[in-house]
Amino acid sequence: MPCSLRLGVLRLTDSAPVVLAESEGLFAAEGVEVAIQVEPSWANIADKLRWGALDAAVMPLPLALAAAAGLRGPATRLIVPMGISRGGNAVVVSSTLVTCLPEPLTPAAAPAFRAWLRDQTVPPRVAVVHLFSTHNLLLRYWLGSVGVDPDRDLEIVVIPPERVVAELTAGRIAGFCAGAPWGDVAEATGSGRILLGSSSIRPRHTEKCLALAGDWAADHPGPAAALSHALQAAQRLCDQPERSPAVAALLARRLDLPEEVTPAALPGGNGIEQIAFAAAAPLDPAEGLWFLREMRRWRWLGVDRDLEQLVADVYRSHLPLI
Amino acid sequence: MKILLADDDADRARYLVRALTRDQSAEVICTTPGEMLADAVAAHRPDVVVVDMTRPDRDALEGVRQLSSRMPHPVVMFVDEDDPDFMQAAIDAGVSSYNVGSVTPAEMKPVLRAAVALFRRYQQTHVKLAEAEIRLKERDLVDRAKAILIRRRKFSEPEAYHWLRREAMSSGKRIPDVALSVVQAQESE
Repeated sequence: MPCSLRLGVLRLTDSAPVVLAESEGLFAAEGVEVAIQVEPSWANIADKLRWGALDAAVMPLPLALAAAAGLRGPATRLIVPMGISRGGNAVVVSSTLVTCLPEPLTPAAAPAFRAWLRDQTVPPRVAVVHLFSTHNLLLRYWLGSVGVDPDRDLEIVVIPPERVVAELTAGRIAGFCAGAPWGDVAEATGSGRILLGSSSIRPRHTEKCLALAGDWAADHPGPAAALSHALQAAQRLCDQPERSPAVAALLARRLDLPEEVTPAALPGGNGIEQIAFAAAAPLDPAEGLWFLREMRRWRWLGVDRDLEQLVADVYRSHLPLI
Repeated sequence: MKILLADDDADRARYLVRALTRDQSAEVICTTPGEMLADAVAAHRPDVVVVDMTRPDRDALEGVRQLSSRMPHPVVMFVDEDDPDFMQAAIDAGVSSYNVGSVTPAEMKPVLRAAVALFRRYQQTHVKLAEAEIRLKERDLVDRAKAILIRRRKFSEPEAYHWLRREAMSSGKRIPDVALSVVQAQESE
């Protein structure tokens, strides 16, 4: 009996390929036994990959790169063989605050937005799901593009995705940028309004990737490839809009996500944007480089680091992919 | 050494304070309910933070240096990078640590070892409790199945048990699983 591979996920809509691969027997079809571990936060995922308590995980691409670069504690040997998803994050503002903002928040409205922000006695507190998340980097990029200094005009804090709506409802944060379904949940409960989707900040941006613990992948090349194959097959199924109700039901059962809300961000949904799965699978070094350059822009990454080399060390599309 | 302890499990936190303050040089501060970890770090300026990994705001510590200019401390995650076995044990036990002051890893290690040992003991107790609950439930299930078999098939108690065991062996299932199907069949009638 082969030992199960431990695959970490968070309670998010873009974990769909993982739970679908399990329920459709796609892991079994590839001959790999997978134990899904649902973790409470990204730091848990990154720590457990680093210290051998997980073999693989679905995680934001920049977090995988940052962990490999040693930006959060000791450098982690990680391999990213494929992308999992594109798009699907929402920038959300509390319902009470949204009435104060100029609408729509187009570049033309930027001066009014800046003026409003600088009028605040205390910078509004906005949550992202991890320092090195796609969410933080895309939010900061967007803020920069409308002339807002994310470090001076706002207070950016870190809250795990499954907690952001509760914090917003309690009034402890003014807004957040988090993955689906949490933006739609905030709207459904009336606590927040979605301002924009992350794909409008950076079209077709890579969101989650599959990350493998480097030592594990080196010792288990077969299961590593089988895992990628199974997830790619699952991605193709997740892209079919007619499957979305069943996927939502599965996410409800397996990850306790609200079944009536998750379809909004799935293919065919009526949310602000829909997640693309299969299109995310082929790795694009330019995408990794973009996130690394943004990290350098915010001075989290020194100018002495060779960014191309960092991406090349982590991206391993030479695993036998379909 | 100033230790900030962030553990919402009040029982465990109490034991931890007792264990950690056995070290005369250790001063232990606990976060108050509802207090955000980043705020507590800013207020108390500890040398090390010991945190329950399931605590939702522990992620906030990772980027303290980058995220907030209000907090000048260097934040380095994990005290002992050269001891992977110890770190693995800590992660498995559900505790992590952040070095936010000037104390060296060597000074911190005994304190962290105590914390990890306590977390592990707690975790084991929880697992044992859960196992005991399952065993109790299974015993109850088998008793109910036996009662059904005694009533419907006029078995004696040993006969009912033997029947369950035979079914289990021939179908490759566990006795409680066979008992469950007997109880469910009865309920669906």
